[in-house]
Amino acid sequence: MASYIGERVRRNEDARLLTGRALFVDDVQLPGMAHVAFLRSDHAHGRLRGVDVEDARRYPGVIAVFTAADLGDFWQPGPLLVPPPPVPGLEFHARTQVPLARDKVRHVGEPIAMVVAESRYVAEDALALIAVDVEPLGAVGDLEAALLPDAPKVHDELASNLAARVRQQKGDYDRARADADLVVSRRFVYDRGASAAIENRAVAAAWDPKSEELTIWDTTQAPIPIRNGLARLLGLLESQVNVIAPFVGGGFGPKIMMFYPEEVLVPWAARRLGRPLKWTEDRHENFGATTQERSQVHDAEIALTREGRILGVRDVFLHDNGAYNAYGLTVPINSQCTLLGMYRVPNYESEFKAVFTTRTQVTPVRGAGRQHGVFVMERLLDLAARELGIDRLELRRRNLLSPDEFPHNHEIIFQDFAPLTYDSGDYLPAFDEAAALIGYDRFYREEQPRLRAEGRRVGLGIVGYVEGTGIGPYEGARVTVEPSGLVRVATGVGTQGQGHFTAFAQLVADALGVDVEQVRVVTGDTREFHWGTGTFASRGAVVAGTACRSAALAVRDKVVALAARLLDAAPETIELEGGRARGRGRDDASLSLGELAARANPLRGAVTPGMEPGLEATAYFGPDRGNTANGVHAMIVEVDPETADVKILRYVVVHDCGRLINPLIVEGQIQGGVAHGIGNAFYEQLHYNEDGQLLNASLMDYLLPVATDVPDVEMAHRETPSPFNPSGLKGVGEAGCIATGALFAQAVEDALGHAVEIRGIPLSPDRLFHLMREARA
Amino acid sequence: MKVTGTFLFRGPREAVWDLLQDPAVLAKAMPGAERLERTEGDRFEGSMKVSLGPVTAARFTLVVELADKAAPERFAMRIDSQGPLGFTRGKALVELTPVDEGTMMSYSSDLQIGGRIAAVGQRVIDMAARMMTEKGLESLQKELDARLAGGSRA
Amino acid sequence: MSDRVTVRARVNGVEYERSVEPRLLLSDFLRQDLGLTGTHVGCEHGVCGACTVLVEGEPVRSCLMFAVQADGARLTTAEGLTPGNGAPLHPLQAAFRDAHALQCGFCTPGILMSMAALLDAPSPLSDEDIRATLAGHLCRCTGYANIVRAVRKAHGQLHR
Repeated sequence: MASYIGERVRRNEDARLLTGRALFVDDVQLPGMAHVAFLRSDHAHGRLRGVDVEDARRYPGVIAVFTAADLGDFWQPGPLLVPPPPVPGLEFHARTQVPLARDKVRHVGEPIAMVVAESRYVAEDALALIAVDVEPLGAVGDLEAALLPDAPKVHDELASNLAARVRQQKGDYDRARADADLVVSRRFVYDRGASAAIENRAVAAAWDPKSEELTIWDTTQAPIPIRNGLARLLGLLESQVNVIAPFVGGGFGPKIMMFYPEEVLVPWAARRLGRPLKWTEDRHENFGATTQERSQVHDAEIALTREGRILGVRDVFLHDNGAYNAYGLTVPINSQCTLLGMYRVPNYESEFKAVFTTRTQVTPVRGAGRQHGVFVMERLLDLAARELGIDRLELRRRNLLSPDEFPHNHEIIFQDFAPLTYDSGDYLPAFDEAAALIGYDRFYREEQPRLRAEGRRVGLGIVGYVEGTGIGPYEGARVTVEPSGLVRVATGVGTQGQGHFTAFAQLVADALGVDVEQVRVVTGDTREFHWGTGTFASRGAVVAGTACRSAALAVRDKVVALAARLLDAAPETIELEGGRARGRGRDDASLSLGELAARANPLRGAVTPGMEPGLEATAYFGPDRGNTANGVHAMIVEVDPETADVKILRYVVVHDCGRLINPLIVEGQIQGGVAHGIGNAFYEQLHYNEDGQLLNASLMDYLLPVATDVPDVEMAHRETPSPFNPSGLKGVGEAGCIATGALFAQAVEDALGHAVEIRGIPLSPDRLFHLMREARA
Repeated sequence: MKVTGTFLFRGPREAVWDLLQDPAVLAKAMPGAERLERTEGDRFEGSMKVSLGPVTAARFTLVVELADKAAPERFAMRIDSQGPLGFTRGKALVELTPVDEGTMMSYSSDLQIGGRIAAVGQRVIDMAARMMTEKGLESLQKELDARLAGGSRA
Repeated sequence: MSDRVTVRARVNGVEYERSVEPRLLLSDFLRQDLGLTGTHVGCEHGVCGACTVLVEGEPVRSCLMFAVQADGARLTTAEGLTPGNGAPLHPLQAAFRDAHALQCGFCTPGILMSMAALLDAPSPLSDEDIRATLAGHLCRCTGYANIVRAVRKAHGQLHR
């Protein structure tokens, strides 16, 4: 039987998206719909002394204005989404975001008042009439200064701005250090960026007083947790609340189940006012109100033998979690765990402090802290290689975990609360393949000397990474064969462009022997399926995909049993192909799946003891622990010695995400991830000044990579199956962007003949220009 | 944001000092100022309309308080301005020194700017502040010229 | 702001007449007043290009134009590339599907309109030409390479 798994199947969802018929949240228009706008803090930190909304309330076309005082008992801090992992000695202070600022504002963009009006234009007119009295308090931005005793406190009732302290270790680093021939230590800085999905967030809500149902359209990556949480907050049954995440225009992390103020208030107000409401974030709001990522400062060191064997690594870092920390410690734990990478590190000591600042809250953004760890480790290896006089590729080869070391337990706790254990991997061939593709030896033998002689500054980078993917807890799916012969798949994860409509359809089509276009996938609608968590941590294909496959196999069993009975054949002889079931060797007698579906639910006698009607099954998959994908990125860059502009001449990715469902989609994820990574590494930086004001809060000033900045990535797939799920899948969603910062740093240093040492990301043309000028001086 | 500079007034220091204490004159000197009135002592309140790069014209409330006055040498100003597109808050120091050609004014201000004007106006904010200052000082000179031509009022 | 003006426009071959506020953006007019939600808004300041539509055959950012400025004009949006529901995809749209040139699809309608205008020119089209025009659009998902492939393919088909 032909298989769709591994085929370059074109996407089922594309026709709707290409013709403008796909529904996004901002497209929702309902009769009588009113529009919402939020008044947001201009101050990074201040005591809120008063909010005067009387003029706004009187403005023609305004329906209602709400401040924190108007919310009554509904005013409460949002849920702690991810509790801290069970690491001994861990210190953690949870402070989650509030719906509207009440006593204090803690970052620019924090909502203070909500206006409901007949149009968004009128709602924004009314915002201008609200007077806010704020007594400014000092901004908190610098992570070290934030922990000094005299720093202004973001949360008055806490002893300091310390949000968490986590120390993890394996082995004995101090002894490793004492035994080492070389210790290299440096400070590394990774600064903030925005996720910058092209679709901003949006929420629409409608309360139907007759059915007593609340329907919410939300740009969320996790509709089911939002449904459950809103039901609890609003005192409704979960069955009274429907959350629909239709097409979502890019997620990248911040659209996870945040219970953002707007996400909570719009449904609340829709019910209270009896009007359908919609709020759509504008780009300016997005820069202050949608969560961000990345600020960390690492003081790290590596201890090695003369031969380049890693004895141990120590890393002490500060993590900026912004004004609140609803997402717990996921990001810094990812940094802590991903640092170990592909390497054998017998002794590891890592301690971080998460710090409250007066900046927008930090939650995972594509990569979710992993790139910081990779940056630190790969930079340390580059520096060590130079000091030891060992080729940097060779140094890596000497320390890679070998296939017989899997599963490999790193003896520290990962973000999914399980010990960090790599499921499988084969790293050396990945490095060798990347080196061969980029032409590592030839580059240094011929190309670089020749181009240098012409005065051109070209350099090569090559770095490896691992990515923990596919974590639990679980996802589910329901597969139904309808009498039309169409197969319906419903699952709880949301989709933001990852091709779930196609990848899940491929898994199901294979199990049932039907055409992939006959499989219709519904995601992100709690009316269709209401158990599950969401799309994050590169887990959709692994966890929900496996559930889809299991449900389809259960349906297959029903199809086979029924077909065997109706065709009077032994079940083991039934074959499913082309949408039909037939007995082996009996081409004359066959039944279509549609006919079987009708026969499985007849008007008389459908259900006998032990049977269920129809051809339908629901299945769940909950992996014990996540998978570990990996990859090696290599690139050749040219640096303009005058302008410090960096041009990427070639970019190679060798990656291993286990078994591939659809190479077309996987390659798209990698190419897009690399583009995201290039932005993070070289263009995108959120510039806050010392007053906590974000100075580049527009797409004019916050630079996303455009078509002329991103090369065509050359890719090679390796497939080391995961033993943790039956299809051998690992995730890929974040892979492309994890290695890019480390890669840029290495390649640019190489291009400049190591005249500069790069310890900070993002590297911008501006920052590189200054580094080059300092080096010359 | 820090704005510092000097400006040479063609006129005697006492005349310049009086000019700078007159809210009607100051209102004229501030581009976009719609009114500025003395509310009590050295406190003035008013409003101004400002356009800045991509930020469209917006009305700001304006409170100016004079402090540390040492006539006719120097004074300080506390400035607090708020509007739908953000706020400006800070201090400015003005010193007047007699020179051969007239009176040299040196000024320095340290202003905190927040909200949308800070977030999207950053690329033009320094330039705009400098232009507004220059325009304002030139209209003050015109006013000074008119007063001095008018004879004995100073 | 309550003085309303009448806007008449021919959008995707259909005549529309609506009474609107003078400050209404063309993007909001298309999406809200005409229900043509295939045009998307990503930044409201003319950078991301998601809201690009054709006005008299020329690509414009509909978030930077008032509806009244389109009075009397002929407009095309993403919905107008194909004649109707169920019709086969326009060669450009088909090429986007074949080349996997879209992921979340939010920026795609705007990109399609710019590229449709680019493809109108029968002259040879290099990848650099495509990238230069595409650089006026932001896409966070695809990394652009497959969009260039799709446009190249569609150009080959349309100018055989």
